[in-house]
Amino acid sequence: MRRVAAALATAVVACACSPVAPYQRGYLARPDMAMEPVDAGTAKALERTYSAKEAARGGASIGGGGCGCN
Amino acid sequence: MASVNEVQVYSTDASRARSMAALAIAEVRRIEAKYSRYRAESVVSRINAAAGGAPVAIDEETAKLLDYAEACFRQSRGRFDPTSGVLRRAWRFEPGAAIPTPAELAPLLDRIGWHRVERGPGTLRLTRAGMELDFGGFGKEYAVDRAALVLREAGARSAIVNLAGDLAVLGPHPDGSPWRIGVRHPRRPDAVIATIPVSSGAIATSGDYERFLEVDGVRHCHLLDPRTGRSARGFQSVTVHAASCLLAGSASTIAMLMGRDAGLRWLEGLGLPYLAVLEDGLVVDRFP
Amino acid sequence: MAATEEPPGGEPQRSAALGALTQAALALPILLASAKAGAAHVGEIGLAVLGYRERGLIKVTEPVLWGKLQLDDVWEFEASGALDMVSGASPELLTNLSGKPVQSVTGASVNDRRTTTGLRAKRRFGDFSLSVSRTVSNEHDYHSHAYSVQGELDLDQRLTTIALGVGRSDDRVGSSIDPALDEPRDTREYLAGVTQVLSPVSVVESTITLSRGQGYYNDPYKSTLTFYPDLVLPLFVTDTRPDHRNELAWLTRYRRRFPERNGTLQVDYRYFRDDWGIRAHTLELAWQQDFGERWSVRPALRYYMQAAADFYSPVVPRPQPAVLSSDQRLAAFGGLSPSLRVILRLEDGFTFEGSAGYVHDAASLRLGGGGSEAFSTLRAVYGIVSISRPF
Repeated sequence: MRRVAAALATAVVACACSPVAPYQRGYLARPDMAMEPVDAGTAKALERTYSAKEAARGGASIGGGGCGCN
Repeated sequence: MASVNEVQVYSTDASRARSMAALAIAEVRRIEAKYSRYRAESVVSRINAAAGGAPVAIDEETAKLLDYAEACFRQSRGRFDPTSGVLRRAWRFEPGAAIPTPAELAPLLDRIGWHRVERGPGTLRLTRAGMELDFGGFGKEYAVDRAALVLREAGARSAIVNLAGDLAVLGPHPDGSPWRIGVRHPRRPDAVIATIPVSSGAIATSGDYERFLEVDGVRHCHLLDPRTGRSARGFQSVTVHAASCLLAGSASTIAMLMGRDAGLRWLEGLGLPYLAVLEDGLVVDRFP
Repeated sequence: MAATEEPPGGEPQRSAALGALTQAALALPILLASAKAGAAHVGEIGLAVLGYRERGLIKVTEPVLWGKLQLDDVWEFEASGALDMVSGASPELLTNLSGKPVQSVTGASVNDRRTTTGLRAKRRFGDFSLSVSRTVSNEHDYHSHAYSVQGELDLDQRLTTIALGVGRSDDRVGSSIDPALDEPRDTREYLAGVTQVLSPVSVVESTITLSRGQGYYNDPYKSTLTFYPDLVLPLFVTDTRPDHRNELAWLTRYRRRFPERNGTLQVDYRYFRDDWGIRAHTLELAWQQDFGERWSVRPALRYYMQAAADFYSPVVPRPQPAVLSSDQRLAAFGGLSPSLRVILRLEDGFTFEGSAGYVHDAASLRLGGGGSEAFSTLRAVYGIVSISRPF
């Protein structure tokens, strides 16, 4: 657990990012560059499909509640 | 990126789009003719010809425009002054020209000052001979706003009026996506320093690159302080997004005239989205 | 005088100067419109339908309706509702009567309906935003109420975003075969994440979520039956799991645009571990290729592998342990799931999306071996069709 936190912190601090000027943000605003698929319905459906058959859950968000998942 | 003047209109019918655009262009031409310094029969020329003499009758449109200019004069604490046009007699923005000396500026400064303008009901008088009224600081922006209203009244819901970088947007593209407005890079004529998505409102830019003189590494531009006759310093350009082109244009011009620190305070105080390029090239981006 | 589309300065006047200029401008016969940057849309609404079918066994249909609303760049609201309809038999008994442990269905067919509704409200305060959410899920044998509060802070002109959140879920577990069962399960969740723009064409996000739960985790429909040659009667144990579960999920997502190819690379990796002994890795690679303004095609491949829970066993060991489950979702296995999504965007903003995927989970697909013997290979296929429209 501590190793995980340290790795995350290092990744953030040691980031050798090229500075992005405000006028260069056009690509980042594209829907395919978003983390969640823009379509909330598809995202929920996919999550349900996989998590009903696997032991691992979540990662992206909290507060989604549980399910009987039979 | 040379100065382009254009009107773009969407319509379900091509001929309707053309006729709406034609109406907008006709309105721009009307205003240009009415307030042009270069036409002897224009309102401005008549007023300037009568400087030091009798009051001149002006119509409601001119009176209200001058009320607006007066509001800019007040809010800018005297830096935005429609009578400062005479300074162009001392400043030559050509390579090899010299900066005017105090001796050259003094007689011109005597002929500048909004307090030297007398306004009566429906009349205006420039109280000293040699004074000039110049609508250059707000005439183009007014033309943009008028053209936008003409388009709206003709039924357009998705259009843009752009006069050399001062523009107003009447609704986004029909699919809802915003117009992507490129702001000219103040030092690289063919480059864009920012692309701003706009779906309504107006954008205006004031810059030190339209007419300027570079002496000893210092740039002097056509935005002159009416109290000293000297060039405004501190910004390469300022771009503002406001509800109308008049507001955006005054906001950006006044910021340039105020210099860096006061200008940034002015822009922050307005609460409008803006992009400012400082004299040293640093970009302050306050667009959401 | 001036035509206004909205009263300019509808917010309380932040600036006297702007007010004075606006007043003078209002007297002129010009247009004053509210200055709106970005998209003109205030919201979106969409409907998706999922169809899922497992070879010979389960069939699921799930329509999902969702909507988003944005007000003034300050407030954002999201609401969604999903109806999950499961039909088909669910394996209930793991028995080694035939010699090897095998799943057998007791014959009770499952027809289950689950409704889930969720609401989220988010308010922006400059660089900081706060969101609260509530999700309620109901089926006849399971009820869940969950809440969460999450804060996000934008740094460095929004090149870096930090997110912190807490959540809580209060569930009640019941059983359609045992009406007396009514047990609680309460979970607390914590989230910490960072999103970082790396370059004009790439961005990465890494989020850790911790979950601490206690309560009833047994699956009331599963049990294990084991015959031993030296015993007259078989050992029969109903699914018994620990009364607590601590989980950690670490998800990292990377997006990279290749403008010269008109494509975007999407990579997602999740590491999962819990105190039941489960360790899982999920890796999804996808490439979205654009064809003109309208069409995009996104092939993807997802690989999953997990290690078994400490108390997983397909046979009842001797001596009989206190906790035991033969539920193969806790077994060691690997899974490969290729999928394809096609996206069509129309001029007026309508977007159609169709996805199809194949899920293949098997003990043999576990990288490095060690898949559970009794794992019954899963072959399933799914399709999702969705429509969305901004307004």
